[in-house]
Amino acid sequence: MISFADLLLAFVFLSVLVSLASNRLMELVKIMAFQGVIVSIIPLALAHGSGIKAEGWEFLTATLLIKGLIMPMALYIAVKKVANRREVEPYVSYNASIFIGLLITMAASLISHRLSPSMPAADTLLLPAGLTTVGAGFFLMMTRHKAITQVIGYLMLENGIYLLGTAMARKTHFQHILEFGVLLDLLAGVMIMGIILYHINRTFDDVDTGILRSLKD
Amino acid sequence: MLEIVILIPLLSGVAAFFLPPRPGRVTLLAAGVLHLAASIAALSGFLPAMLPLYFTLTPLGGLVLVITSFLYCMTAIYTVSYMNEIEMHAEPAFNGSMLLFLTAMSMAAIADHIIVLWIAIEATTLTSAPLILLHKSKGALEAAWKYVLICSVGIALALLSAFFLILAMNQGGVQVPLNYNSLNGVAASLNPLWLKAAFIFAVIGYGTKMGLAPMHTWLPDAHSEAVSPASALLSGALLNCAFLGVYKTHVLLTSAGIGRFSDHILMIFGLFSILVAGVFILHQSDYKRLLAYSSIENMGIIAFGSGLGGLGAIGAVIHMIHHSLIKSSLFLTSGNILLGYGSKQIKQTRGMIRLLPGTAAAFFSGFTAISGLPPFGLVVSELFIILGALRSHHPVAIIIFISGLLLVFSGACRHILPMTFGSTETKADDLLVADRPARLLPSYTLLAVSIFLTFWMPERLWEIIRQAAVLMGGAHG
Amino acid sequence: MTQAIILLTIAVISAPLLSMIIVKVKAWFCGRRGPAWLQNYSTLTKLVQKTPVYSNSTTFIFRLSPVITMAGILTALCLLPIAGRPPLLSFAGDVILLFYLLGLGRFFIISAAMDTASPFEGMGAAREALFGTLAEATVFVVLIFFERLQGGASLASYLGIHTNAGLWGNAGAAAIMIIIALFMVLLTENARVPVDDPTTHLELTMIHEVMVLDHSGPELALIEAGSWLKLFFYSAFIADILCPLRGRPLDFPLFALTVISIYILIGFIESISARYKLNMVPKFILISFALALFALIFSMGASL
Repeated sequence: MISFADLLLAFVFLSVLVSLASNRLMELVKIMAFQGVIVSIIPLALAHGSGIKAEGWEFLTATLLIKGLIMPMALYIAVKKVANRREVEPYVSYNASIFIGLLITMAASLISHRLSPSMPAADTLLLPAGLTTVGAGFFLMMTRHKAITQVIGYLMLENGIYLLGTAMARKTHFQHILEFGVLLDLLAGVMIMGIILYHINRTFDDVDTGILRSLKD
Repeated sequence: MLEIVILIPLLSGVAAFFLPPRPGRVTLLAAGVLHLAASIAALSGFLPAMLPLYFTLTPLGGLVLVITSFLYCMTAIYTVSYMNEIEMHAEPAFNGSMLLFLTAMSMAAIADHIIVLWIAIEATTLTSAPLILLHKSKGALEAAWKYVLICSVGIALALLSAFFLILAMNQGGVQVPLNYNSLNGVAASLNPLWLKAAFIFAVIGYGTKMGLAPMHTWLPDAHSEAVSPASALLSGALLNCAFLGVYKTHVLLTSAGIGRFSDHILMIFGLFSILVAGVFILHQSDYKRLLAYSSIENMGIIAFGSGLGGLGAIGAVIHMIHHSLIKSSLFLTSGNILLGYGSKQIKQTRGMIRLLPGTAAAFFSGFTAISGLPPFGLVVSELFIILGALRSHHPVAIIIFISGLLLVFSGACRHILPMTFGSTETKADDLLVADRPARLLPSYTLLAVSIFLTFWMPERLWEIIRQAAVLMGGAHG
Repeated sequence: MTQAIILLTIAVISAPLLSMIIVKVKAWFCGRRGPAWLQNYSTLTKLVQKTPVYSNSTTFIFRLSPVITMAGILTALCLLPIAGRPPLLSFAGDVILLFYLLGLGRFFIISAAMDTASPFEGMGAAREALFGTLAEATVFVVLIFFERLQGGASLASYLGIHTNAGLWGNAGAAAIMIIIALFMVLLTENARVPVDDPTTHLELTMIHEVMVLDHSGPELALIEAGSWLKLFFYSAFIADILCPLRGRPLDFPLFALTVISIYILIGFIESISARYKLNMVPKFILISFALALFALIFSMGASL
């Protein structure tokens, strides 16, 4: 029978794929909330109910709150307040994005296949899932116009890093290190705050970083 | 207690947010002086760390700390006069951010724990972003956005580097505290594969912050759009702190006996940065961006020198010191030019020698200095690096290195000479603001210190430089 | 053998009733009672009693196509293991035959639509051809996936009928992606929301419905019944993968329950979502393709 962790990881892949194809900002925000929840309960699913200590629970709850609730809420507010046009506006078409997502997955599974002998014995899907999420996050950041979508890409990158950290977390220290990964959310939070407070649209009429292109050589 | 260098600016920074402008400026200055005193005491070994698990004063860290502190003092003096000339609507925020920025940089300088260093570098991004955004112009907003976004990605990758480092520990069966100091002791038993992976991600992650090409794209924007005192700190102090992140991982690889791997990566990134800077300087129309590209070049030189080892490593450390002094002097001077002409365009700021003689003298000497001409210090460090490259038999690298330097020099000459000596229609009456001694003194002081250190290096300082270089496999000569 | 025939008969008879579930779910969402449960049977009876009307421009293809479509789907059902029981017919390579029987049905419906020479029907035919072709790619990736995992080339072996080793044990997480991909294919192939809206009344926006505008009487009944059977076919296929069927008597209620849940899910999706813009539909199908390919990559990664 399929393990619960595998089920969750399959949903991570699904969320990555749908985010690449998604053309609505709100839809993207919802996907990020979904992905945040899934990603933050994966360590729990991997632990099989045994390895989680009391302090581990607090951390997991905090991660779940931040990734699954606070960040999506902030994004939601940012989209509501700032975006006039609710379309994603990609530089690379959606269909091409899906294909690139496929290529990223293939690369990820090849890399993880190379690496897996020297990795702690974790779930076989965890490493490719992490790498794919990181890659797709990068891709979203690079190929979408708007400031908000770049932040969403960054959040996805961060989820991927969290997964990679979980993939390596088998022994000492890691629980603590993973906790600091939450600080990355702080940066993302600042970016969202920047969008909301500084109204990247007040100065430029819209949260389109395509307009933020005057400084270049 | 070593941690006082964090506490002083932290407390005064928080206070400065709530103080009105005038007492705020006093705080800015006073905290700087106190911080400098504490830093020098720390470098002289009077301040042992209270939390040795997290903070240790390494040789290079100590150097970075004192440089940062000194630059900050000079910048603070400059800022007080600068603030009188411009309309700053959020001065408390500026003062507070400057001090918090100093806090984050001091923390990065003395941090030895992997995660504390990482947090410190992340904090520098957060605290310096407001300094760039302060103008609230379209350009400033764009620069700040790019800065935060790109550096955040860098910092995320640097976290991966920390993950790999710990994985290398787990795979090697090593159980020590997570600080570089204890890791160096057991470096040989770390798993080399994951150590290499950690280094690659450290170079990409911290290298983004350090401005190594091709991750440098935020740097010219941020440095040119920030208010000039902030630019001076960003360029002179922050880049060094980021270099610390790369340096410490490099030291770890060197102690593990796989230093050749990191050497090559650093050399490649270094040379590439020099070339990229050289190409982009040629067609620059904005003098602050020109200076920013010069920073990329110099960070490339430092990376290249570190990768060479031997004499090159000593050269890299010396280069770091002098670059900080000279580049911040140049950025402070460029603030004067901006105040005087009201423009960042090279075309509109010609003939400074007649209109702003004091500034022109500082700017041109700064340019001479940054180009590696005597009597300033960069000539020494660059010679060290070239000698180091000769000794370690890297003929191709030397050719690329020297031609890169020449490219940058000739490109900069094209712009700087007309700016200083060119003829102009601008009359003295057209200038918005004239020279003020308080805004010239810091630039001159910084340059003077560079000359001073070239001719008379204190024995203690030399010893520290040598130690820093030895750690990354340097100094036989 | 007898069991297979009985199951097949039950399936064919209950397919129109099952389709009513979707209608009822949608009605429930709108706060209506909806038509009677046996409405589909009444519709069929009514249509069969009517005399068909043919346009002057049509040829024999127009009359032939409903029959062939119906024959195709019925043969396909004979090859499908229902509730994990061996099907009526099973041989190596029957999966290819099976999906091409469905393809044949589509080909003739498209041909009949072109045969009427109506511009609307031609338009619908073009869309149906495009989306059907795209969905076929997903189906074949799914088949390759099954082949790698279970071996053989018959649907019975893919579903582990004889070995009692379902997909779940072997594939793990990949099975979920395959099921989602297949469900997306189901929505596409059966012209459901969000690919097509079966209740739309504007020819311009139709895909499937516009092609059968000119059919009437018993032929329309055949086409309607055929589409219900096709929907049942895909639902049963997914249910076969989804249920851990072990050859026990308990299988039958479990299977029935799963099929009913799939129908309810379709109704639910139709109630809460709108159909995509036409240019978004290929993207939707592409996602299913990508998902199936993901699953394939992982199943290969395990054996590399």
